Amino acid sequence: MTCAFLRAIRYTEKLYRSSGKRLFLPYLVLNKACLKTETSLKWGLQEPKKTVRSGCNIGVTRKTIWTQGPSSLKAKEDSSKQVSVHRSQSGETAISTSQKVKEAGRDFTYLIVVLIGIGVTGGLFYTIFKELFSSFSPNKIYGKALEKCRSHPEVVSVFGEPVKGYGEVTRRGRRQHVSFIEYVKDGLKYLRVKFYIEGSEPGKQGTVHVEVKENPGSGECDFQYIFVEVESYPRRTIVVEDNRFQDN
Amino acid sequence: MEEYAREPCPWRIVDDCGGAFTMGTIGGGIFQAIKGFRNSPVGVNHRLRGSLTAIKTRAPQLGGSFAVWGGLFSMIDCSMVQVRGKEDPWNSITSGALTGAILAARNGPVAMVGSAAMGGILLALIEGAGILLTRFASAQFLNGESSVC
Repeated sequence: MTCAFLRAIRYTEKLYRSSGKRLFLPYLVLNKACLKTETSLKWGLQEPKKTVRSGCNIGVTRKTIWTQGPSSLKAKEDSSKQVSVHRSQSGETAISTSQKVKEAGRDFTYLIVVLIGIGVTGGLFYTIFKELFSSFSPNKIYGKALEKCRSHPEVVSVFGEPVKGYGEVTRRGRRQHVSFIEYVKDGLKYLRVKFYIEGSEPGKQGTVHVEVKENPGSGECDFQYIFVEVESYPRRTIVVEDNRFQDN
Repeated sequence: MEEYAREPCPWRIVDDCGGAFTMGTIGGGIFQAIKGFRNSPVGVNHRLRGSLTAIKTRAPQLGGSFAVWGGLFSMIDCSMVQVRGKEDPWNSITSGALTGAILAARNGPVAMVGSAAMGGILLALIEGAGILLTRFASAQFLNGESSVC
């Protein structure tokens, strides 16, 4: 039994060295090798039992054969390694207070950096959501006013059909930001937006002034006025909407 | 003056592409110089040669991929402006998402969706930063003029 066992071990060592595969293989290979040696040596009726037993045996002693090399030497090395590991673990706790402080300091600075990053990112996300999704932001007012201008027949007749809108020219040439002023009067929030429109008629440009008052009841915004100033020589002003004197 | 008299949009594509290439090449050059310096054998001559080789091989690659990103983003942005008819932060965010999706098209639809999400979020952050900056910059001018007519 033991010589078959040792033979199985040598067989797996050979296989392991030749293939150089992962360490999980020896278990399966060992099982197969054991089966092979058992059947080759003893053709009796007791084969299944012995294979099972040797399989269990091999499972128990797996740890000592886990690495390369002869098993007996390896067992001694492993035990010595285990002793040395225990020693180093007990020795580490005595000297690691300064290391612990250093590591805690490092972790703390990392935590601060992460928190700052999260704060900045959260602030940016909040800004962009408020700008794009809340109904009282200049961007939404710009969109709604542009829609109203586009559907107004006089504006369409002056400027030509696809009316384009844009905001202030920034340094890079992108014109995404509309200029606006927000103020509070009598406890209500007002918002004034100014943007430019252009149509397909060449050379005709217009400036649109919009003022919006926040309705305290529904939280929505009421358009106070929408004026379109056409930049031709006799300056024309097209009134798209004028509700300034309605609620007074 | 004269450069704002014409429409920014078609010319902006070339502008953005070149700007992105420059950013990628310079940034990649610095990065690869340090990396090549560190991954070379000991000795200043070896290290300098190693960093020069790293710059010569890798920096144009990074510049090229940045240029592709920038050029594609600007093209989609200008197309959206033309189609929608208004210039909006929404254009930038959607352009970023579409650019990310197109550039990950080789890796299948799931990777496209992930890359689109990343591109959109990145552009949303950049737009948010731009909005904050313009508001702070204009808020400084408005300090004396807050009277309402």
